[in-house]
Amino acid sequence: MSRRRLRRAMINGVAALVFVLFAFPVYWMVNSAFKPPDEIQTYVPVFLPTSPTLSNFANAIGQPHFADFLRNSLFVSFSTVALALLVGLLAAVTVARVRFRGRKGFLLLVAIAQMAPFEGLLIPIYLVIRGTPLYNQVPSLIVVYFIFTLPFTIWSLRGFVSGIPVDLEEAAMVDGCSRFGAFRHVVFPLLLPGIVSTAIFGYITAWNEFLYANAFMTNVSNYTLPVWLATFRTSFGIDWGGTMAAATLFTLPVLVFFLIVQGRMVGGLTAGAVKG
Amino acid sequence: MADTMRAQVEDLSPVTVGRRGAPSRPRTATSAMRRALPYLAILPTLGTFLILLGYPVLLVILLSFQKYNLAELFNHRTIWIGLDNYREILGNPEFISVVIRTFLFTIANVALTIGLGTLVALLLDRLGRWMRLAVSMAMVLAWSVPAVTGSVIFQWLFDSKFGVVNWALNTIGLFGDFTNHSWFDSGLSTFAIITMLMVWQAAPFVAFSLFAGIGSISKEQYEAARVDGAGEWAVFRWITLPSLAPLFMILTFLSSIWDFKVFTQIWTMRQGGPNNETVTLAIYAYQVGIAGNRFGIAAAVSCVMVALLLVVLVPYIRSMVRTQEGA
Repeated sequence: MSRRRLRRAMINGVAALVFVLFAFPVYWMVNSAFKPPDEIQTYVPVFLPTSPTLSNFANAIGQPHFADFLRNSLFVSFSTVALALLVGLLAAVTVARVRFRGRKGFLLLVAIAQMAPFEGLLIPIYLVIRGTPLYNQVPSLIVVYFIFTLPFTIWSLRGFVSGIPVDLEEAAMVDGCSRFGAFRHVVFPLLLPGIVSTAIFGYITAWNEFLYANAFMTNVSNYTLPVWLATFRTSFGIDWGGTMAAATLFTLPVLVFFLIVQGRMVGGLTAGAVKG
Repeated sequence: MADTMRAQVEDLSPVTVGRRGAPSRPRTATSAMRRALPYLAILPTLGTFLILLGYPVLLVILLSFQKYNLAELFNHRTIWIGLDNYREILGNPEFISVVIRTFLFTIANVALTIGLGTLVALLLDRLGRWMRLAVSMAMVLAWSVPAVTGSVIFQWLFDSKFGVVNWALNTIGLFGDFTNHSWFDSGLSTFAIITMLMVWQAAPFVAFSLFAGIGSISKEQYEAARVDGAGEWAVFRWITLPSLAPLFMILTFLSSIWDFKVFTQIWTMRQGGPNNETVTLAIYAYQVGIAGNRFGIAAAVSCVMVALLLVVLVPYIRSMVRTQEGA
């Protein structure tokens, strides 16, 4: 009995250690963001800010061009999601509901596109964009992120559409709905949660992307938030409080969105990969 | 079952169309329209793939056989030089060391990610409800942090002057004096921090996937093994591990892809420094191409990167296909 209790205590001890190791960096970011300079520049760390302040956030927001960065990031992310959903939904519903010649081949194409190594395509895409008026313009990123997110969007939405029983559409059509009407009034409302989580995934991808945004934008006012955050050493000096406040502001929407969808994301990538 | 339902709805739709469609319209035109409809619906996707994905893929291969620097970009000239770009990079000892470094970095990262992820998954399986929830929350937190944010946080944690890690190591006192210790002075030390960052961000996904996998192994197998007197390790070795083999395969495959071509975490940490000692293939292609304007060489580097990734992953892909067929 006591051996069992010892084992339990050991397991809980390891769990506590794992908890601290994984949660601490995020805690430290938020904690530092609220600390006044004298609690940051100290050799003995302050684990709970004694006099929390919002001045770091004011510093971050007050940086030149912050409004531009925020606007660029929001514009790029929302446009990417809208475009990918529009094109992706059309393809996903078709693939999930209609039998046509070449359907399997199309699905294979989507699966291959999803694995495309975009780090390896930076040079040609950069050169193509450089030859167009889009060079150094924020919308060029929408084009790139659209192709990043489209394969996943189709794959994910297709799964959600397949999960909705065809009987429902069938019943609506028997009752006199057109095929489009059946989709609009029956499938679409049921599909909405799937659309939302797919959209969130695309949004996070575009919001976080760094490589292309860093390579394409030469004017500071065209930077997105991650590019700005990565230059913190030049823009903030050694103001770690301001840097952490900026990082917190940039990360907060991702944290919130992630909590909404994370349950769905684990299953999606590895579904059906366990031998019963 | 789903297939028969789908067939039914397709049998049904012509009836619907016939009932609602105007009788004056020729029937053949309607059915041709109907047949063309799915292709019209996937046309935007196909166009996107062809133009935005297919063309760059073709272009990077073509560029790798061209002399293409800033002059050629402005003059719109095409100068074919055969395999010269490949000869140049493969004959460059710096490039060879970048390749070796990329492989070592990938192997270390994948091994640590899968190892830690497995341990956390086994831990989650043994925890009570509340501790499990707490650990899961910490995992989700680490997982959700964007790459750039993670990089900035870790640079603060490992700051030489006021970093909390140096303070903690000094407090423990077992490893010597870390006052003002600079972690970013050597390549190996910088790599260690990049690796910690990447494992911290990637292990949660592995842990959750494996934990879900463990949950779907039938309880009878475990009970039978325990009745036969198997210990903790034997159960893991002979039941958990073989059952999760396909899952391990996929996770190793995905992690290898992600780590081999990773750019953001390495670049944002020290731009490949100190002294180019943390330059991997993705960083090298960026330095040569975007920063150095030698696009032909950079294209060859990119092609080599993707080719190496494919060669290394072929065994995985083959065994994954085999598992799929077997299932």
